[in-house]
Amino acid sequence: MDSITALLEGFATAAQPEYLLYALLGVTLGTAVGVLPGIGPAMTVALLLPLTYTLEPTAALIIFAGIYYGGMYGGSTTSILLNTPGESASVVTALEGNKMAKAGRGAAALATAAIGSFVAGTIATVLLTLLAPTIADFAVQLGPADYVALMVVAFTTVAALLGSSPVRGLASLGLGLFIGLVGTDTLTGQQRFTLGIATMADGIDVVVVAVGVFAVGEALYVASRLRHGPIEVIPIGGKWMTRGFWSRSWKPWLRGTFIGFPIGTVPAGGADVSTFLSYAAEKKLSKRPEEFGKGAIEGVAGPEAANNAAAAGVLVPLLTLGLPTTATAAVIVAAFQSYGIQPGPLLFTNNSAMVWALIASLYIGNVMLLVLNLPLVKIWVKVLQIPRPYLYAGILLFAALGTYAVNFVVDDLIVLLVIGVVGFFMRRHGYPVAPLVVGLILGPMAEEQVRRTLQISEGSLSALVTSPFAAVAYTVLVVLLVVAFTLRLRRKKTEVTV
Amino acid sequence: MIAEKAEEYAFGGLVAAIGVFTLVDATTIAARDDNAVGPRAFPYAVGILLVVTGIAAIIATARGKLGRAEEAEDVDETVRTDWVTVGKLVAVLVAHLVLIDLVGWPVAAALLFFGAAWSLGATWWRALPIAVVLALVVQVVFASGLGLSLPAGIFEGVPLLDG
Repeated sequence: MDSITALLEGFATAAQPEYLLYALLGVTLGTAVGVLPGIGPAMTVALLLPLTYTLEPTAALIIFAGIYYGGMYGGSTTSILLNTPGESASVVTALEGNKMAKAGRGAAALATAAIGSFVAGTIATVLLTLLAPTIADFAVQLGPADYVALMVVAFTTVAALLGSSPVRGLASLGLGLFIGLVGTDTLTGQQRFTLGIATMADGIDVVVVAVGVFAVGEALYVASRLRHGPIEVIPIGGKWMTRGFWSRSWKPWLRGTFIGFPIGTVPAGGADVSTFLSYAAEKKLSKRPEEFGKGAIEGVAGPEAANNAAAAGVLVPLLTLGLPTTATAAVIVAAFQSYGIQPGPLLFTNNSAMVWALIASLYIGNVMLLVLNLPLVKIWVKVLQIPRPYLYAGILLFAALGTYAVNFVVDDLIVLLVIGVVGFFMRRHGYPVAPLVVGLILGPMAEEQVRRTLQISEGSLSALVTSPFAAVAYTVLVVLLVVAFTLRLRRKKTEVTV
Repeated sequence: MIAEKAEEYAFGGLVAAIGVFTLVDATTIAARDDNAVGPRAFPYAVGILLVVTGIAAIIATARGKLGRAEEAEDVDETVRTDWVTVGKLVAVLVAHLVLIDLVGWPVAAALLFFGAAWSLGATWWRALPIAVVLALVVQVVFASGLGLSLPAGIFEGVPLLDG
């Protein structure tokens, strides 16, 4: 029961007025960027990194955690009230939520999304609290070869299973790994791929790459096909506090939570898969399947809960193994590293106070988010109506500022522009950007672990697979890939027959 | 459609070309001649991955499997690519990075915001004051609040603006 004591101490820290303010700042920013199209949590954390260097690590990480959770809440508001298809993670919410809003039941859709997110977020954070220390205890015993196996699983699943084209996902991963190679080799001190340019010797800053690929790439892409005309926001209609609301929502919330959390913890999980599974489950279990596609509240409640539970699940491998499985998680790892902290099993022993304050702030942030997104939702509707030219001009300005503030050199802005243009073309041609960022963060770590393994084994490659844990990991990976591709084939076949 | 396909070939080619560069440049990394894996092995693996996936993307394109453009709330998939606006934004970013050291951050930033908003269709007399105020506010916040000073340029020595 050590972890309960530690958690209570974490609450004592996180409940100090100063940290409460940081948490409030984080969740508010997070909701705002979640609501606004064109900005995601990954980009926001990346942009804020240089600006928070002056803060102590606990404060900065509390802000980032708030942004991470807040982004999940805000996204649902957009997909329910905006008349256009949204990001993939909230696309399922849009299926039913948008229909509900159009039918004058927007208030109920927003409420079930917000309360569902709160219920799921809180339960998932409890599960995180219980699981994380145990996994960390186990993970301490893992050797370098085991880490290599975990990273290979993360690489492959993120690149090959997410997104519609495995080839393009792997190419994106390759680009990220390549960018990660640029700079000075940690083991021999040699410069690699720097083209003799002095500023490249320190490598290309993660912040610059993340901001370039997310902010600049996205802004250029949207500019190339900007939707003109007025922004059509559906007015919020109807009442939500009805008996039918609660009786139809609570089961989907719980089911969504228990579908989302486990999927979030495994690589290749992430929000997309969990929301689709939850939607399918609700449709199957519903007594009124005919309502699906026309505004069924279960179709909002379940996927929104799954979405938030998965977000909390992603934190399990992130905090206990140092393994990011989404783009936002990868940027958060970069944030840890910028403070000289390596997330992983030792986090719970070496930085115990900080990590428990962080987890406690997740509970507090969830409560704040419920208030921000239930009674105050009308404010976010206003934010949604910001004219797009100013929104994207602002994104570009803060992208340039965030990049420049890393080292105060103009060279970084050149790199930002080049990577932004690459990000633009990646979006045009269906190359997912998440594998690039994950590859960039994990690549250097993977190389170090591979070389360490082979140093111990004196060059014998079999050392990479003979550890029992690694062998299991590779087997699971193969099974995962086979299952995923048969499912994909079958889906294609049914599409053809339909 | 033909232009999009050409672009896909070009991007696949770029990926493969970076792979070839990685493989060629990796041979110049000095490696000690012992059993341990040196600084070359990982670059070789990355190079091969890039070459293979780049070529695979080209083959997929040739077989008609084009990449699906990303969806986003503000993206209208029915309209043609507006290259002029993309060009303007890139030009504005280039101007920004050139101007920072010449006239200082506030001016360069105001120009970036104004240029981008105007390129995207904002009315110029509305965008201009917003750009100026935004740039000055950020400059003051940085100089006084965060303890990080952005180059003031033409405002050097001005209280509040020069940190």
